[in-house]
Amino acid sequence: MSEKFAYTNKEMQAVAIARCIRDGQIVIVGTGLPLIGASLAKRAYAPNCSLIVESGLMDCRPIEVPRSVGDNRFMAHCGTQWTNIRFVGFETNAWLHDDERLIAFIGGAQIDPYGNVNSTCIGDYHRPKTRFTGSGGANGIATFVNTIIMMQHEKRRFMEKIDYVTSAGWMDGPGGRERAGLPANRGPKMVVTDLGIMKFDPQTRRMYLAHYYESSSPEEVIENTGFEIDVSKATMTPPPEPEIIRLIREEIDPKQSFIVIPGKEG
Amino acid sequence: MNNKLLSLQEAIRRYVKDGDIVSLGGFTTNRKPYAAVHEILRQGQKDLIAMAGPAGGDWDLLIGAGRVKAYINCYTANSGVTNVSRRFRKAIETGTLLFEDYSQDVEMLMIHAASLGLPFLPVRMMLGSGLVDECGISEEVRASLPKLAPKKYVMMDNPFRPGEKTVCVPVPRIDTAIIHVQKASPDGTCRIEGDEFHDVDIAIAAKNLIVTCEELMSNEEIRREPEKNSIPCFIPKCVVHAPYGAHPAQCYNYYDYDNPYLKEYDAASKTEEGFAAFKAKYVDAFKTHEEYLDYFGFTYLNRLRVTSGYGYTFDFALEGASQNSKEKQNV
Repeated sequence: MSEKFAYTNKEMQAVAIARCIRDGQIVIVGTGLPLIGASLAKRAYAPNCSLIVESGLMDCRPIEVPRSVGDNRFMAHCGTQWTNIRFVGFETNAWLHDDERLIAFIGGAQIDPYGNVNSTCIGDYHRPKTRFTGSGGANGIATFVNTIIMMQHEKRRFMEKIDYVTSAGWMDGPGGRERAGLPANRGPKMVVTDLGIMKFDPQTRRMYLAHYYESSSPEEVIENTGFEIDVSKATMTPPPEPEIIRLIREEIDPKQSFIVIPGKEG
Repeated sequence: MNNKLLSLQEAIRRYVKDGDIVSLGGFTTNRKPYAAVHEILRQGQKDLIAMAGPAGGDWDLLIGAGRVKAYINCYTANSGVTNVSRRFRKAIETGTLLFEDYSQDVEMLMIHAASLGLPFLPVRMMLGSGLVDECGISEEVRASLPKLAPKKYVMMDNPFRPGEKTVCVPVPRIDTAIIHVQKASPDGTCRIEGDEFHDVDIAIAAKNLIVTCEELMSNEEIRREPEKNSIPCFIPKCVVHAPYGAHPAQCYNYYDYDNPYLKEYDAASKTEEGFAAFKAKYVDAFKTHEEYLDYFGFTYLNRLRVTSGYGYTFDFALEGASQNSKEKQNV
């Protein structure tokens, strides 16, 4: 898409993320695209949002892109250096406050129509074909906080049934979270991929396509989704403004740590 | 004066035994006690049971060298360089490692509960997930590992709020914790700068605490600012002076991670042979941590030092370049 558009697909995703964040929200970011997107939100759309990471570093304002949530690049430029268990207490007490206060980004290797996410293994848990890191902070986050899930949009990743549920979504649909003992008023809100933005139907809790990009189409989403997905409500999300792309390239990720600009690899 | 200073060799020889439950401080690529890990690799302790927490190359090295019997884990990666630690991954894929998954929150709370002396811990994480559907280590195998709790978890109704499900997890009894801190005094008082992670929790929860430190301070000097201290003198069993003892990880206020080294490990750890060669080159080739430091030399290590005002290694030359290009654009 680099030849056709003045921005890359990753930049489109970062902008999609940034547009999800409301002013004043506390955003649980990891590294990678969610961090770029949230940093962009803070500069362009939601100046009063706060970035926090699961290691316990609160109100982070990194100058240089960190590689991990425990990175000195976060630690030296945050409001408070909490330990991990303080973060856990903070997320666990999220129910004390309104639904919109906290939003979290998590990622995974597989996702099902109800937003349950696998970041543990492909194949049998005990003897997997491919093993990943495991939960990290994702399971706890998905238990107590509304999430936006970052995925690569491929048929083998969007599956009717995933190999392992690392982070619970809407479980098996309406009432699923209650039955499992999970807070019912929290759960996945969106899925952001390289092809578009999915949301969950409030009644059925099934994923549907809400927005596609200038570079993608509803057909492409259907083609790359391993389960039936409703695209009837989908609209195209506006492409990023040139000023927003400038912010990403010159101020947020000038070293191209996470977003590589074709032909300009740093 | 109570002097707890020991050589690294003696500290590891005395306090790390085969079959121990071991917990290491730090977070993935930050303040990991690598010097101590290298010494364990050289000495040969094995059958370790890991309370790993947010781990990286530290536990990956021990797994790769076949020293880990059971790996109680939540996350293992040199984030940004190796997204899943490769020896950990291979060991699970080939079925050569006993492992148990918890979420990071739960494993950190288990360690914290141990520091509080709680008998067990009810949590609400893991509900509805594979973390309760699957047990990595069966009860039969657990029976052969008396240091591990007989079960991964037990479900229990909240006795105070009937109908609320809780997952009760065991509280570990850690034999030895190893942490790398910025400053310590010979009497054992420790000062952690920046995020303490779970280091103070494992320090309290472990039977033995080994401290390695960047800098030694006098017992008098460290007591002048007690508000900056993290661990009282009677907690550590010993203090080891090990500058750059977290290399190739970061150490807040001292040095950044060593990217070329982490990348070399990433490539090497793809295969068993590569791993063995890496271990021979960076661990077995040296008798002491000092020899390891001399291999890299002052100039190399000094280049990793953090830049004041940034907290990491900042390249002013690069900044100058981008400033110049901005000025050109403005013209």
